Amino acid sequence: MDVTLYSLEACPFCEKARIFLREKGIQFAELKVVPGSASWEEMKVKTGSGTFPQILVGEESIGGYADLVDLEASGKLYEKLGIADRKSDTVLYDDIILGAGPAGLSAAIYAIRKLLRTLIISKDVGGQVTWTSDVDNYLGFSQVNAAELVSKFESHVKKFDVETIIGRSITAVDPTGRVKRVVVDDGRVFYGKTLIVATGGGHKLLDIPGEKELQAKGVSYCSTCDAPLYEDAEVAVIGGGNSALEAVIDLMNIARRIYIVSISPLLGDPVYRDKVLASEKVIVFPQHQPTRILGESFVEGIEFRCLVTGKVKTLNVEGVFVEIGTMPNSSLFIDTLASNRNGEILVDLECRTGVAGVFACGDVTNVPFKQVVVAVGEGAKAALSAYNYLINQK
Amino acid sequence: MEKKVKIYTTPGCHYCQQAKEYLTGRGVAFEALDVSQDREALKEMRSITGGGRSVPVIAICDQVILGFDQEAIEKALNCLQ
Ligand SMILES: Cc1cc2nc3c(=O)[nH]c(=O)nc-3n(C[C@H](O)[C@H](O)[C@H](O)COP(=O)(O)OP(=O)(O)OC[C@H]3O[C@@H](n4cnc5c(N)ncnc54)[C@H](O)[C@@H]3O)c2cc1C
Repeated sequence: MDVTLYSLEACPFCEKARIFLREKGIQFAELKVVPGSASWEEMKVKTGSGTFPQILVGEESIGGYADLVDLEASGKLYEKLGIADRKSDTVLYDDIILGAGPAGLSAAIYAIRKLLRTLIISKDVGGQVTWTSDVDNYLGFSQVNAAELVSKFESHVKKFDVETIIGRSITAVDPTGRVKRVVVDDGRVFYGKTLIVATGGGHKLLDIPGEKELQAKGVSYCSTCDAPLYEDAEVAVIGGGNSALEAVIDLMNIARRIYIVSISPLLGDPVYRDKVLASEKVIVFPQHQPTRILGESFVEGIEFRCLVTGKVKTLNVEGVFVEIGTMPNSSLFIDTLASNRNGEILVDLECRTGVAGVFACGDVTNVPFKQVVVAVGEGAKAALSAYNYLINQK
Repeated sequence: MEKKVKIYTTPGCHYCQQAKEYLTGRGVAFEALDVSQDREALKEMRSITGGGRSVPVIAICDQVILGFDQEAIEKALNCLQ
């Protein structure tokens, strides 16, 4: 049986249909149609539709791109093609959750309990929670080890029948159209009726000379990991918020001297601030901005400038811990989802992004207060919104 | 015989944990060294990385990988075959 693809120049869904058919190894003939021409009339007669693309199997019209993916996933396309023994390897998920931090994991639980066929894809489980040692403000736990909290989240999700791909990066997402497409770094492609974007945040970089070159050579973004390697050393911590203060606390019993360089006065919770300022090892440079990290093959010092006087100082340090906050992991959506100038994906109260069937939650969004408990709540909302969207589809 | 895969870790390092789980999942035998306790191991880690000061560091045959870089690990593991 022959497959015919009626396409229009520069039509994105035609390109998607073309890619899909090629990915599946399905031979097809393509007819490029110019609107208003005789071929357009022919297409309208044969398919009963004037939109692009249109796909015919033999003489039977099967519709557009989303119909093609639906049909392939159910195996019916192969029946129509007369290769009934070929099974589809495409699964059309109800829900693909991108990211397995608190927001994504919480979304998974709500999605699964609505019996949605759900897939989670993530580089790791736990996200930013794994970068810290303890969490003190999650309801039900006066103090909990972060790794333990993550393993509780994980085992809760594992109780349900959710499919996961962990340890892989998502490299491309096509959220437009009725069927959404997610590409993973090993080349696999996944299809979903809805997407829940929960890719969270990553470390904000200083973006100064020496930072990239000396990463892992004294420049560190994980104090719980690397603090033990700085016994009796002089180090600098960059930043003035809670993460920076926690890094100082991680280093306090190990390093000899800790310089805090912060563009603002020390912010962060008073419990941390008091503890840090009580230490004789700590010297604070408020209203100073780092300008260069010094060293050839490993960190030897840091250069920074006073924002008030303009004076430049250098200090000899062996380590620089960068704790200046996070930025949203939203670059995959730069062309498709609206974001604010910080790169946070804009969502409404129901976690909708403005693209049908695409929801977002947690630190990747413009929802204020980047906290575990907030991310967990937003994840639940996103999954329930996705469910509402699905039951309103035909 | 000396193990061909070594991983340098600290207890607070989640990526170290994930890297170990990954290696275990692949059925790769490895030696894990806690550089917060073992000074010799810290020295060794710093020397093979040219002054490296972030964990995990993973040594596979004669290749040294900084961080839990799954792709790099996968490639490096070829030397064990
Ligand atoms: C040092 C530190 C300490 C903190 N302490 C606290 C605290 O005490 N209490 C508190 O409530 N909050 C704390 N937070 C904040 C809290 O961790 C975050 O608000 C929360 O983790 C956000 O959850 P999330 O699921 O939105 O995103 P994240 O936790 O960032 O998770 C995002 C997930 O998406 C994955 N991902 C991203 N991009 C891709 C991609 N391209 N491919 C595959 N996977 C991808 C990541 O691997 C990750 O698993 C802290 C944050 C930091 C950095």
